[in-house]
Amino acid sequence: MFIGIDVGGTCTDAVLLDGGAVRATAKVETQEDLLISLGDALDNLLKGIPGEKIQRVVFSTTIVTNLIAEKKYDPVGVLLLPGPGRTFMEFRQQDDVFFLTGAIDYRGREIIPLEEAELAKALRWLEDKGYQRVAVIGKFSTRNNAHELRVAQYIKQHHPEWQVEMGHRAGGRLNFPRRITNTVLTCATRDKYHYFANAVRDAMARRDISADVFILKADGGTLPLTVSEQVPVETIFSGPAASTLGVQALTPAGETSLVVDIGGTTTDLALILSGQPLLASRGAKIGDRFTQVRALAVHSVPVGGDSVVERVGKEIIIYSERVGHAYCLGGPLPTPTDALRVMGMTQIGDEDRAREAMVRLGAPVGMGPMEVAHTIVGLVINTVVTEIEQMFVEWEQEPAYRVWEVLQKKKLRPQNVVGVGGGAAGFVPQIAARLGCTPILPPYAPVANAIGAAVARPTLQVNLLADTERQIFIVEEEGYQGKLSGKLDEIGAVELAKSWLMKRAEKMNLLEYVQEIEITNRDVFNIVRDWRTTGRLYHISVQTPRGILGHIGSGGRLMK
Amino acid sequence: MMKKTGIIFFPAFDWAISATHPEREERLLYTRDQMFEEGILDLPEIEEFSPRLASEHDICRVHFCVPSVSDQVLEAHRIAAGAAMHLGDKIIAKQIKNGFALVRPPGHHAMRVVHGNRGFCNINNEAVLVEYLRRTYGVKKIAIVDTDVHHGDGTQDIFYHDPDVLFISFHQDGRTIYPGTGFTYELGGPGAYASTINIPLPPGVTDAGLHYVMDHLISPILADFQPDFVVNSAGQDNHFTDPLGQMRITAQGYARLTEKLKPDLAVLEGGYAIETALPYVNLAILLALAGKDYSSVLEPEYNPDRFKENPKVTSEIHRVVGELQEIWANRHKADKFALANGAKYYQRTKPIYYDTQFIEEKQIEKVRVCAQCPGYITIDSQAYHPDGKRYHVLAITIPIQACKYCQEEGWDAYEQYKHDYRFNYVYLQDKSTDTFMMYRREERQEFRSDG
Repeated sequence: MFIGIDVGGTCTDAVLLDGGAVRATAKVETQEDLLISLGDALDNLLKGIPGEKIQRVVFSTTIVTNLIAEKKYDPVGVLLLPGPGRTFMEFRQQDDVFFLTGAIDYRGREIIPLEEAELAKALRWLEDKGYQRVAVIGKFSTRNNAHELRVAQYIKQHHPEWQVEMGHRAGGRLNFPRRITNTVLTCATRDKYHYFANAVRDAMARRDISADVFILKADGGTLPLTVSEQVPVETIFSGPAASTLGVQALTPAGETSLVVDIGGTTTDLALILSGQPLLASRGAKIGDRFTQVRALAVHSVPVGGDSVVERVGKEIIIYSERVGHAYCLGGPLPTPTDALRVMGMTQIGDEDRAREAMVRLGAPVGMGPMEVAHTIVGLVINTVVTEIEQMFVEWEQEPAYRVWEVLQKKKLRPQNVVGVGGGAAGFVPQIAARLGCTPILPPYAPVANAIGAAVARPTLQVNLLADTERQIFIVEEEGYQGKLSGKLDEIGAVELAKSWLMKRAEKMNLLEYVQEIEITNRDVFNIVRDWRTTGRLYHISVQTPRGILGHIGSGGRLMK
Repeated sequence: MMKKTGIIFFPAFDWAISATHPEREERLLYTRDQMFEEGILDLPEIEEFSPRLASEHDICRVHFCVPSVSDQVLEAHRIAAGAAMHLGDKIIAKQIKNGFALVRPPGHHAMRVVHGNRGFCNINNEAVLVEYLRRTYGVKKIAIVDTDVHHGDGTQDIFYHDPDVLFISFHQDGRTIYPGTGFTYELGGPGAYASTINIPLPPGVTDAGLHYVMDHLISPILADFQPDFVVNSAGQDNHFTDPLGQMRITAQGYARLTEKLKPDLAVLEGGYAIETALPYVNLAILLALAGKDYSSVLEPEYNPDRFKENPKVTSEIHRVVGELQEIWANRHKADKFALANGAKYYQRTKPIYYDTQFIEEKQIEKVRVCAQCPGYITIDSQAYHPDGKRYHVLAITIPIQACKYCQEEGWDAYEQYKHDYRFNYVYLQDKSTDTFMMYRREERQEFRSDG
């Protein structure tokens, strides 16, 4: 039996899956202490089922997201080697930064050597400021980590007890500013996350659950809990991924669906394209910082069932914040949920109180309660539909760097609009009508997120770059930089990438999930100098197939 | 709201002229690495768009492809031209403040008649953009400033008789580099005198010399001309490390040039120092367009002490600038009928060499000297193609500003030449109605396309 848990901002949802069937579900309010919510959810779920029967637990947690959003992380001293290019002075505004001399170029060649004398200065700066956590990030360090290694080694030599993170380990892809963010956040959250992971292990042990524990990532893949401790940033924004995978499990395979997750204060939009959730072309953004964290392409609209509704003059306005529950549920102010209640599109809450909320808004300007309710629902739908259309335009604008990519571009339009989350039933049929799609409200929609967590599977990627002129290769995910021995052709490069994927799987104890390997990119560049080919550059990406463990029920349209 | 700089990056990682040709897949690879690593596409000042394809008609608005568009133009070319058009749309719609089409293949050596690839170019991306903007949005006056080390002879050829398109090209002196043209006396046809300005510069020009040209010649000319839209043919082979050119311009020099020129749209042209120049120059230009600090974009090879300009070079620059200043100042004194020596038609005979494919074209271009408009043009062109086949074609182009008479006479000429046994193909381009005609005499087939 599998357990999936989604610790969300307001609610913690949990499901127990037995094959393709849902055995139990639980919904508890999320407490300040996430572990209490986790424990409550587990206890509610397991009632009478012995812990040994559980084979796998996957959970999605907002702990790191919250730590970062609330800036409750530890201070980090940042050492940067920016080399030539942008000035990056703006980083001084968000981090305490010390700039070092030294630079690497795009092919991993040293263009400016480190200045050893500066290292002592940097160390004194860290000591004076009282930092014990240090992030060292160089431009193009993923192409050559020598400078980062040297700086980190120097610091460790003098302060073995300090925590030092290096850019090439925390963010292996090209994008120096995002690598800085990944490294700083890894450094800042690692201790707190470790504490959390220990508490999770403890909670499992106390319930006799000895199953493997995984954490959901923003791209819909999972990581073993122990591995995630090395890369806590990878756990941010897994909530929308949970809902999307849930919809994937609850709808027939292979269809194109728009997922509309209407929560209390936000509506998340995602796309399942021919049965596969669409990935964002760039990493996730947290607060005002861009990261390298791979994520599904999710758009958040700041409107939900609990958004505050007010009247300004003769106009009804929906605000993005939540003050409390809907008025019909005893909250202080009118909300879209009250409007739905008045229109009879939901049975949640007290009908009289809902009507009272509408009257309060409409009476002074001579609008009847039903008219007000229609206006509010119309506003919500307009906002969401506008955002959906914008989103499709953006997806069509995704960059293409190869001729074939430009030629195969086509218009994306979904068949289905699938609603999950609290407000789904009230809004989704109308949203679907506006888009000319079939509305689907799957069974278990309120816990689709937990189902998504339960069916998520580990995904592993390896991006390999090999340069036969310089006889070197790089594995981005591992921060590994090695030497080639002898000739390498395209097939050899692909094999090398695959072998590193297997190594990675073995290290994470995930070999059982690697039955097949997909090649997602294979670029070959002739290095031409003076009309002669002097070498080749191979850019190879391989991964384990993305997907879910299985579909739930008929995976079909039980309710329309 | 702050308006952004739009960029279309199209490195065509799956297209090359041939396996070891400089115009190859690898060309923008390191530029991509540098741009991605700098995180430049995350900047709030910059927005990336995806390219679209220019249609056959968009290409026929400018070129006569022999025998037809599909024989000369690959998808990669249509994407590069389409990228410039797409950014043009966004600029006219004021969605972005300016743009950079960082695309390959390049285009500025492609002339009006296309028998094959010249100087790595098949179709002229800037010209396709310009005709599209004029046709679609009625943009009147356009300036194209070509900052490639090579003379933009293709662009010059296409707009040589058009007084509303100002073409300014500075380049290494044609006596020392391909394509061997671009001298100060090439000033445009009689009806478009001084709407072509060539600034041939001696090898060894540094940033200081280039900015002298910019400040004392290009900027004042642009201020006088008052263009509605400025296109920059942004070649990067004036760089001090370029393998084909012998100039000594730096990334900083290019960025400052961009800052002064303030182009609406920059379109990448040449530049084959793909490791030592392109990553830095492209970054610097993009930052300059976006109004960001580019002062730290310094090439590893850059050493300020090495960049003293030879006084001989400096004095030659001053001489050329002085000569052109005088021509520009006196441009209104030139009378088009006098320039044409009183003839009804102004005629040029041009041998055109296609270096990439070893094609030699013979061309006779005849422009009607008209009091009302720039005049329609007939072109008699012949060449042997690499397949051994000889093509002899006749092409007529009626300008967008055409008067009634020139338009009628152009169409009449087309109908007459259709029966002329000398020509395999007869073409007509009527820019005033956006119509394109092609007649295959041997098959007696006619094709028409309308915008």
